[in-house]
Amino acid sequence: MSSHAAPAAGTQLKAVYKHLDSLLQGIHDLHEAGVRDFTVLSPIPRHEIEEMLYKGEPSPVRWFTLFGGLLGGTMIFSLASLTHANWPMIIPGGKPLVSIPPFLVVTFEGTILWASLMTLIGLLVMCGLPFTDPPAAMEDPRFTNDCFGIVFTRVPKNAEKIVHILEHSGAFEVTGGGAHG
Amino acid sequence: MSKELTYSQVNRDVMRPLFSPSMAWHALMALVTVGLAYGAFCWGIQLIWGLGVAGYHPPVFWGVYITTFVFWVGIGHAGTLISAILFLTRSRWRTGIYRAAEAMTIFAVMTAALFPAIHVGRAWQAYWLFPYPNQRQLWQNFKSPLMWDVFAVSTYFTVSTVFFFIGLVPDIAAVRDNTKGFVKKMYNVMALGWRGTDRQWRHYMAAYGFFAALATPLVLSVHSVVSWDFAMADTPGWHSTLFPPYFVAGAIFSGCSMVITLMLPLTKLFKLEAYIHTWHFEHLAKLCMFTGGILTYAYGTEYFIAWYSDNQYEWGTFTDRVFGKYWWVFAMMVACNCTIPLLWWFKKVRTSFVGLFAISIVVNIGMWFERYNIIASSLAHSFDPGAWVYYTPTYIEIGILIFSFAWFFLWFLLFVKIMPSVAIAEVKETLRPPLKHDEEAAAK
Repeated sequence: MSSHAAPAAGTQLKAVYKHLDSLLQGIHDLHEAGVRDFTVLSPIPRHEIEEMLYKGEPSPVRWFTLFGGLLGGTMIFSLASLTHANWPMIIPGGKPLVSIPPFLVVTFEGTILWASLMTLIGLLVMCGLPFTDPPAAMEDPRFTNDCFGIVFTRVPKNAEKIVHILEHSGAFEVTGGGAHG
Repeated sequence: MSKELTYSQVNRDVMRPLFSPSMAWHALMALVTVGLAYGAFCWGIQLIWGLGVAGYHPPVFWGVYITTFVFWVGIGHAGTLISAILFLTRSRWRTGIYRAAEAMTIFAVMTAALFPAIHVGRAWQAYWLFPYPNQRQLWQNFKSPLMWDVFAVSTYFTVSTVFFFIGLVPDIAAVRDNTKGFVKKMYNVMALGWRGTDRQWRHYMAAYGFFAALATPLVLSVHSVVSWDFAMADTPGWHSTLFPPYFVAGAIFSGCSMVITLMLPLTKLFKLEAYIHTWHFEHLAKLCMFTGGILTYAYGTEYFIAWYSDNQYEWGTFTDRVFGKYWWVFAMMVACNCTIPLLWWFKKVRTSFVGLFAISIVVNIGMWFERYNIIASSLAHSFDPGAWVYYTPTYIEIGILIFSFAWFFLWFLLFVKIMPSVAIAEVKETLRPPLKHDEEAAAK
């Protein structure tokens, strides 16, 4: 464990963990201290992290999916119906111009297509992707390899206490400094 | 998945084959280039001289091109099946193989998408298939199964591509963090700047679940819609309500066989045995045995219904398939799809490299012949005996068939060189995470 002088308020702070349980301890201890304005980095998704940070609150991406599905289905059914109504051929056999069974096929495809595309948009919006200018503290290749991290993009005034919590929870490296990117 | 593996070892092992092509890779690329050149020559001749250079013989105007289109759409089934349905059912055996299977899906559908353009002859006017108002205010017929097919295949391709790309994002970020300079910048663009923050993972996992849920009905729908290209017509041999489940089972059968064909050599070549075991291939073989059984049952049902319907045209077509000029196509279909895969019922065969690889290729051949049997023999032996013909493909059609395989393998070979062919993040998820508690217990 490396010990450093606490960084100045407003600068970045990065704690690197080798172990998941240490990371969870760090998150817990920070919450206990009333500190919540930090980002956790992980090479894989872990339900424990999400549960601690978001308390099971579902992602709003689902609303994008629902909206996309409704929009796509309505659009394609309308397109099929209106184009057939626009050229009202008399179909032998007296079949209706706007016929639901054959139009359901394209309506289904439109629903799935637009639900997926809107889910993609929802994902990009909610994740803040493309993430073009990440804070320097997040640009650590270990976070996509075998380490977990807690990053403060702007250290609050009680930086010394935070460094102590992070080191005490099991972070093997705590580094600070550098302005917010 | 081995419990001794660590997160960093997964990164190292999966990224090792990237950027350093082996001799085998170069040899395969050379073969692919030859296939592409020959196929492009054949297609060029067709573009110049028109569809007359194909072996079409009235009334047979659907032949090798539509057969190959259906074949590749079918191959494209397994990837999304493995990645979406097995994700929702939390099947652990998907993890090692789903990335390459998804890539196979995308490239197979990209290959299939060439065929409407090849088939219409004047490829530069293939965009007429898409719904847009033309200068005479005429629109496409949304009641036509061919129109449904355009929607089904393009939706399947779009959704599968999005699903594939989103699955890749965290792994591209991992590759980025192992590269330098311009290459790093390129991977960073492709990874959308992914960093693996809590916020990113939270929304990512929610969206991934939705993609899987949306892709699942698509897997079942797309080949049902393709089957309606045939079943909605009154042509004997095609007009059957059996077609959608029959086609879906066939597609999964052929798709999973193609996954075996691709993944077995890939695993050996890239030394990925720690991630893709015989166990994975055995599961794929079992899935093939299940869907192959459905297919054999469907073949039998077709004949029973043709006989039981007491429709002389229907029964005439079906007997002609067995005893007429296309008997060899029927024999290939039954031998490759119904008989030879029965060897997989022996555990020794379905767990051996040779047994898996050889039979998977046999199934691929058989599934191409199945589509040829459905399409060519039905059109060549329709209602009017005066119009009965014997269609055989020309060297142009065979050349374009070879082109399709070269095109598919071109993309697949490029993919395995620039992208991780095993899902890094998901493999790590199956491992026990690094815990201080474990280290302390081991030290005691």
